[in-house]
Amino acid sequence: MKAKRRTGLIFFPAYDWEISPTHPERKERLLYTQDQVLEEGVLDIEGVYEFKAGVASEQDISRVHFCVPDVPSRITASHNISAGGCIEAARLVLDGVVDNAFALVRPPGHHAMRVVQGARGFCNINIEAVMLEWVRTHYPGVKKIAVVDTDCHHGDGTQDIYWHDPDVLYISIHQDGRTLYPGSGFPSEFGGPKAAGYTINIPLPPLTGDEGILWAVEHVVLPVLEDFGPDLVINSAGQDNHFTDPITNMSFSALGYARLNELLKPHVCVLEGGYSIEGALPYVNTGIILALAGLDYSYVREPDYDPERVRQDPRVTEYIQRLCEQIYDMWRNRSALAPEPRPFYERSRSIFYDTDSITERQHETLAYCTACNGALRIDSRASTGYRILAVHLPRGACSACRSQAREWFDHPGGPYYAVYLQDLDADEFTVKIM
Amino acid sequence: MIAKSDTMRRPFGCPPIPCGPRRGGEPSVILGIDVGGTHTDAVCIEDGRIRSYAKTLTGDDLVASVVDAIERLDAACPKVKRVVLSTTLSTNVIVEGKHPPTGVVCSAGPGIDPGTFSVGTCFRHVAGAMDHRGREYIPIDPAEVMDAASTLERAGCQGVAIVSKFSVRNPAHEDAIASLVGSRFRHVCLGHTLSGALNFPRRINTTYLNAAVMPVQERFISAVASAVERLGIQAPLYFLKADGGTYTQDAARRFPVETILSGPAASVMGALALAPSRDASVLVIDIGGTTTDIGVLVGGLPLLDTWGVAIGGLKTLVRGLKVISIGVGGDSCISVEDDGTIAVGPRRDGMPACMGGPSATPMDALVILGEYAGDTARALDAVRALALKAGMDIEPFCRKVIGVMVDAVHGAAKAFMEEINAHPVYTIYEMLHPHVVKPEGVVLVGGPAALLAEYVSRSFGLPCHVPEHAGVANALGAALSRTTAQITLHADTELGVLFCPELGFKAAAPRSMTLEDLRHEGLRLLRENASYLGLEDSAEAQVIQQQAFTMVRGFSTVGANMRVRVQNTPGIIDSWGGLG
Repeated sequence: MKAKRRTGLIFFPAYDWEISPTHPERKERLLYTQDQVLEEGVLDIEGVYEFKAGVASEQDISRVHFCVPDVPSRITASHNISAGGCIEAARLVLDGVVDNAFALVRPPGHHAMRVVQGARGFCNINIEAVMLEWVRTHYPGVKKIAVVDTDCHHGDGTQDIYWHDPDVLYISIHQDGRTLYPGSGFPSEFGGPKAAGYTINIPLPPLTGDEGILWAVEHVVLPVLEDFGPDLVINSAGQDNHFTDPITNMSFSALGYARLNELLKPHVCVLEGGYSIEGALPYVNTGIILALAGLDYSYVREPDYDPERVRQDPRVTEYIQRLCEQIYDMWRNRSALAPEPRPFYERSRSIFYDTDSITERQHETLAYCTACNGALRIDSRASTGYRILAVHLPRGACSACRSQAREWFDHPGGPYYAVYLQDLDADEFTVKIM
Repeated sequence: MIAKSDTMRRPFGCPPIPCGPRRGGEPSVILGIDVGGTHTDAVCIEDGRIRSYAKTLTGDDLVASVVDAIERLDAACPKVKRVVLSTTLSTNVIVEGKHPPTGVVCSAGPGIDPGTFSVGTCFRHVAGAMDHRGREYIPIDPAEVMDAASTLERAGCQGVAIVSKFSVRNPAHEDAIASLVGSRFRHVCLGHTLSGALNFPRRINTTYLNAAVMPVQERFISAVASAVERLGIQAPLYFLKADGGTYTQDAARRFPVETILSGPAASVMGALALAPSRDASVLVIDIGGTTTDIGVLVGGLPLLDTWGVAIGGLKTLVRGLKVISIGVGGDSCISVEDDGTIAVGPRRDGMPACMGGPSATPMDALVILGEYAGDTARALDAVRALALKAGMDIEPFCRKVIGVMVDAVHGAAKAFMEEINAHPVYTIYEMLHPHVVKPEGVVLVGGPAALLAEYVSRSFGLPCHVPEHAGVANALGAALSRTTAQITLHADTELGVLFCPELGFKAAAPRSMTLEDLRHEGLRLLRENASYLGLEDSAEAQVIQQQAFTMVRGFSTVGANMRVRVQNTPGIIDSWGGLG
């Protein structure tokens, strides 16, 4: 058997790490996946190669996050390796070692936002974003990136990080936020003033099956990608849409996941959630790997797969078709979504870190700019007592925005514990403890 | 052949090897015979020292070659305590396809299309599926199995390999198929008995090859056993396996596939016996005429291939040494490109020019440099034109040729080590505390070894040791390797099942079972089944892998999933005294 596309696997099951012994993020999570992948002989397929994960550095993490009070206190070594595994996957693809790669790593990351006061939805740092910012720093030729998040939960962290960035298109397909954590991810969340339309949320009703998710892929994701023309496509490949997942309510199957990746043809897949560790992950991951390698996955099936069980209600089908039409229309008319220009855009919100039981109040200010994506200022106060000021300078920031950021950094005002400056063009992260 | 500089004679700063014998009593005589494709090497060891050795050409009749080699050793046959054979028999039978028609009956269930794994005279896929924990979810259909067996019979299959997916977790389907149709075939092999490792396609290949070579191997073992007895030797007969261990003839009849590709194992184990330090981490480089094999000893043990060796295009679960082979050897052709680039190999046109061959080779360069006695005139004739093309004088050109050759070996060895050290790891601990294999020296064996020691040492920047008797390292490796076997235990305390596939041993796994309990059980099983597995009584068991996972369903603990791998310590038998 020979793969049609060379596929790299980064497998890092972190067999010595867990949030707690009975937590869904526990040592056992990828054990049965490893058993299945080994037993199927996937690693012997010509053109499928396994590579060792890497270790993301503090600098790699600070290109994305403002960890409060600092990086080491917010993460464990497993996060460095999980993010490092993603970086390695991207490197393999960009260096032409393989055509695509799958980072089967844990813990996940798509709920981690730009400011990290604690852990949310089992995530401490956003492993895709750490990978993408590493890519943009080391491979300047990669200009436009699409992240297609197929985890059952809305990837509110990735959405937050790329909210103001029109060069990173974020599309999330997930179970409707009215019925599942984190409760966000509606079509009305379409990106910040400089990136209106470049966040696309497709919330699907509970019990959506293969048919509905693949409909969204074929009728929204693929045409949007065609328009956008990304240099790099990432799939945040959460596997909790599966019909056996214990914490969600969807009806997706291993065959559906394989078909999704066959259609999407991502350069890099990153494992996100998925907690049916016996009934879903072994089969879904086998299916995804075969699909990435361009091989026949049609015989992959869960032991308790029953086409009747995963067939979706016609009303669900109809709802999804209508929803997809509206969302695609929004994309086509995205120029109408941008608000009237004004010097500053501000938003306030409350963020709950469920894994650590921390509450954060954020006040965000974007310096609107016609020359660049604009400097960003985030005033963050957490129930832990940490109040910080985070100043972010995007890639290609103009000199006016650079001065604005400097001004915010030098004269923060307020009783801050620390002030941080993230300067992506200079690839520098500066901390001032007050 | 003694290496030249002092640093080479006393490499790695190690003290001289203590002299044997280590144990008193009756003198023990061991015979090691390596029946290679071209030569048969034999060595006689008495009281832990080499007493005699012989090299003959391998004939068509392998048994006769073995007898011939033993006779040349002039050994005290009644005193022989151990005879060890390394042969290319099973390798040749497989590569040349000279085995009886052999079929496969497998049950796969969902996954990769099982048709992809088709091998052998007749391959039949039947219904039946087990999941990763060994729970049946599609049963066997007896009528379909009977029908499959009939198809195999009609195709003339004498042997059958019976394999099911996840049979190392639960062999019920393999056992059921065997009891339904096993009696209809002369040779029946069950997948789970050959290896406890997960890998269904490799299990199919391994089981198929085992069934295929079984009759040939059986005939050979019987013939050799009686021939050896006729020579007045009443010692047990052992065979060398691909992993550098040996096993008894009974085990070799049951698991003949383990003897494939034992050639490199013989050399590497010989190098271990001859290495200046038994626990060193060294590269073992065997420079031959056509190819150079590179292997590695880590802490005195040969490094094994992660999954298993491949033969005749089939990947197997047969444990074998991690070795690479490159097309560069003493008889490789030298070529010079138009831009003056000098290359050595991979082509070989036969003998070197100095021995009457058609083309210039590194051996000719060595003759010209005065390193080796040969027909200098012929060597010069062959080399001169190439030196001219390269725009160099003869001697610098010859030195350059040897440099190019040795650098090619060095480049390959470097890539080999990088590959070994890039091996994926699955825990944070291993990720943050990487075990980096860093050779401290080179042990050079094979024909031109002694001539190249200095060049190798310089290119690698490592001390290079050329042991005495490097020419019979292979026979020595066979003679001195310990018996080895490995078993795998899997305990699932939620299902309450403990299973050891290699032994077909099934027992209850109570909820109270701990990893410590499983380790003890593994060591006990290895000890008690030593003779079935082909081990000598004195074999020492050790746990080489252990994992335990708490199984949580819902939010409560329901059991433990534990895996243990036990083997006896591989290496060189204790009575070997070294060269002194």
